[in-house]
Amino acid sequence: MQGLFGYAVRRLLWVPVILFAVSFIAFTITRFGPGDYVDVLAGPRATPEAEARLREQTGLNDPFYEQYGRYMKRLLTEGDFGESFTKYRGTPVWDIIWPRILVSIQPGIVALVIGFSVGIAVGIFAALKQGTWLDPFAIGSFLFFQSIPVLVSLPFLVLLFVVKLGWLPAIGWGGPRVDVGPQDIELGILSTHIILPALALSLPSVAGVARLVRATTLSVLGEDYVRTARAKGLPEFQVITRHVARNALLPLVTVLGLSLSTLLEGSFFVETILGIPGIGQLGFQAATSRDYDVILALVLILATAFVIANIITDLAYTLIDPRVRFEERRS
Amino acid sequence: MNRAILAIVGAMAALVVAIGVIIVVLVASGGGSNESTANKTPAPTDSGGGRTEGELRMAGPEPITLDPAIAQDEGSARYIVEIFGGLLTLDQQLQLQPDIAGAIPSVENGGKVVNADGTVTYTFHIRDGVLFHDRKPVTAETVKCSLERAADPATQSLVSEFFLGDIVGVKDKLDGRADEVSGIQVIDPATLSITITGDISSFLYKLTYPTGFVVDPSQTGGTCGTEDFGDGDSNWTRHPNGTGPYELKEWTFGERIVLQANDHYQLGVPKTKTVRFLLAGGGLTAYQAGDVDVTFVGIDDLERIQDPADPLNADYLTGDRLALDYIGFDTTREPFNDPDVRLAFAMAIDKEQIGSAVFKDALPVANSYDMPGMPAYTASASAPAFDPDGARALLEQSSYGGADGLPAISMAESGAGATASEATSAIIEMWRDNLGVEVEIQQAEAATFFQDISDGKYQMFHLGWIMDYPDEDDILNIHFDSESPNNDTGYNNPQVDDLLRRALVEPDPQQRTQLYQQAEQLVLDDVPWIPLFFDREHMLVKPYVKDFGISPIVVPQLRYVSLETP
Repeated sequence: MQGLFGYAVRRLLWVPVILFAVSFIAFTITRFGPGDYVDVLAGPRATPEAEARLREQTGLNDPFYEQYGRYMKRLLTEGDFGESFTKYRGTPVWDIIWPRILVSIQPGIVALVIGFSVGIAVGIFAALKQGTWLDPFAIGSFLFFQSIPVLVSLPFLVLLFVVKLGWLPAIGWGGPRVDVGPQDIELGILSTHIILPALALSLPSVAGVARLVRATTLSVLGEDYVRTARAKGLPEFQVITRHVARNALLPLVTVLGLSLSTLLEGSFFVETILGIPGIGQLGFQAATSRDYDVILALVLILATAFVIANIITDLAYTLIDPRVRFEERRS
Repeated sequence: MNRAILAIVGAMAALVVAIGVIIVVLVASGGGSNESTANKTPAPTDSGGGRTEGELRMAGPEPITLDPAIAQDEGSARYIVEIFGGLLTLDQQLQLQPDIAGAIPSVENGGKVVNADGTVTYTFHIRDGVLFHDRKPVTAETVKCSLERAADPATQSLVSEFFLGDIVGVKDKLDGRADEVSGIQVIDPATLSITITGDISSFLYKLTYPTGFVVDPSQTGGTCGTEDFGDGDSNWTRHPNGTGPYELKEWTFGERIVLQANDHYQLGVPKTKTVRFLLAGGGLTAYQAGDVDVTFVGIDDLERIQDPADPLNADYLTGDRLALDYIGFDTTREPFNDPDVRLAFAMAIDKEQIGSAVFKDALPVANSYDMPGMPAYTASASAPAFDPDGARALLEQSSYGGADGLPAISMAESGAGATASEATSAIIEMWRDNLGVEVEIQQAEAATFFQDISDGKYQMFHLGWIMDYPDEDDILNIHFDSESPNNDTGYNNPQVDDLLRRALVEPDPQQRTQLYQQAEQLVLDDVPWIPLFFDREHMLVKPYVKDFGISPIVVPQLRYVSLETP
């Protein structure tokens, strides 16, 4: 385990370096893009003097490296992500982002659980039925869902379940309320509001998981230990769950780890169409309205999540796969 | 071989099943009509759900801020006019009404005095018993502090000069040359005088805009009179203390705003106790499902709803707004520095056809800058009429000698998509067909677009203007006076300048109207702007919602609405 520990520390030491680079690049790009938040706010009624005064007061006239230094200092010493200018003027960025992350995560998690469990089941089923029409039928059905963009499938689901059948609420989000600090959020995950976004997000992801599982299952099925298990008279169900599934699912850890980091991203289309107050919607609005501090905070949070998820995936992989541990002990 | 066949058969089976499911769904749902869901009561949930007595539910825009001093967009103003109030307000017919002041100051009631130096002093008496939501009384000092705060550079308002700049001393305060605004004086706890630089009759209208509204100094901080409130409450706009007809009960970002009636409102207690705005997802679907009582209708759904046979037609409500869609020219740049070229471009557009083909007659065609409903609006004002042959002839007579002599031309509009709006495409096509001129479309995001317009980077641009108050100076003086900082076309006509400046300070309303009508016709003939369409709002309102009005500009209107018991 010494080697593993060293590996983990080395990886973690890189994190601040990566994040610094990300923050610098993101900061530079926003500052050198056309227009700034004063232009967005100004509209046709502001006088040029008033615009100039606001730029001066908020430090937009300083050289960008000074602005960057000020931003990073405030972030590192006070944990302050700054404040919103054009979306919710004067509100601390963290107060805006935190509740939205917690909302976006809910459909994300449910979709992940559905996508992976259905995907795994379908993948194993298809592998076992290899050589019959059921194999391509199962995979093909879900490929069909994968090939429909959310922009098409979601309005269709709304038309069906909300307008025609009336089973689900038309208003995008709701549920029991909990106070998360800056404001209340709704736990849509505990209500029927979760169904549409979770469906829309999970349906396209099933086929990918299923195909991966099908491929790995097929290769495991040909292994000697599976033949041994069958030969010693184990019931087929136990052969599949104990010997096949365990080994076939290992490669999924990588996919799962990377999917976890995308949970924080939210989904722009799903959130916009259904009116879910999540992070995907906010990110788009912040970018088009030059809400510098909001954009930067989002980029930094997502980058952190991605880097950490990557490290955890790598570590988990080494921990789970006994062969990796065995190799280490030998070396 | 065998495998390939199996794969194809399997995939085809999957496709057949999928298509079958779609057909079944469409047939099953196509049989039922749309109203099948209109009557059902969905399971009550926190947002939306069934009706609650005394609660109006509607879709609303997300405000950028609820701080009246810095708000400058319609989406924010919509809520601010309900939560806060100022000395004066506008009713639904856009008539000035006293709010915190007991009366509108006038020469007759002694509230307006023209001083020897040309300045004008208004005296406002604070109405008896005006209270903040927390029952704190409003005094003359509070009003003075609120106005001074708006004019304080630290407040970072971009519009305080626009709305309060007429007051003597506001510019000094904004530039940091004065701590107080010399033109605002507290005479006694219930009396306040405001001195403005000239007899500008639209000043009282400007006080009805949020910038001049009264806020609670203990929330906003700073010193007020003898009291020092320090930094105030940095989070005050999430629970503001105002004097308006409604109190903010809740603002959850991205989700909802809930307003509760102010039961001691000075102009009469609102009939509807609670108003719940859904900040996302309150469209037609939600309306049909019974989750909102009021919603906007987009042009795509309009034709269906205007059909008397449609069940939703009975709920349809429409109203004109004081806003204009126009094309502006940079009159200092080639080729639009030649008035003949501008005129030819205007004459080549068939607005009636665009109105019916693109907008399905949802918007009225504009032939003036002044909108119907404005004091100086006259149907006899005439923008250049559609005349393709005349337009081509005019272009040939111009200093460019025809389409071939023109430089490359592009028109800018705000937008993030790759394709132009339908109306813009239609206009471009008309210029191509009627003038033989190829115009390119240049799209820019809002941030870039407004910056480039004020920098004079575009030859022409497609834009809209929404009125802040019902007075001509809010469109004619600020856009066409050659000295105005908001004149983005570089338009300069000394005769127009003279008429506009005389109209601004003309006390006699009839005289004033005439001056503005003269000026407007001169500008229309010079074509710095081609007026295209006026704005019109289309909404659906449930039959149990009574007295819901579409006002031409943002004014307090929720307190007039009443609800029939479910």
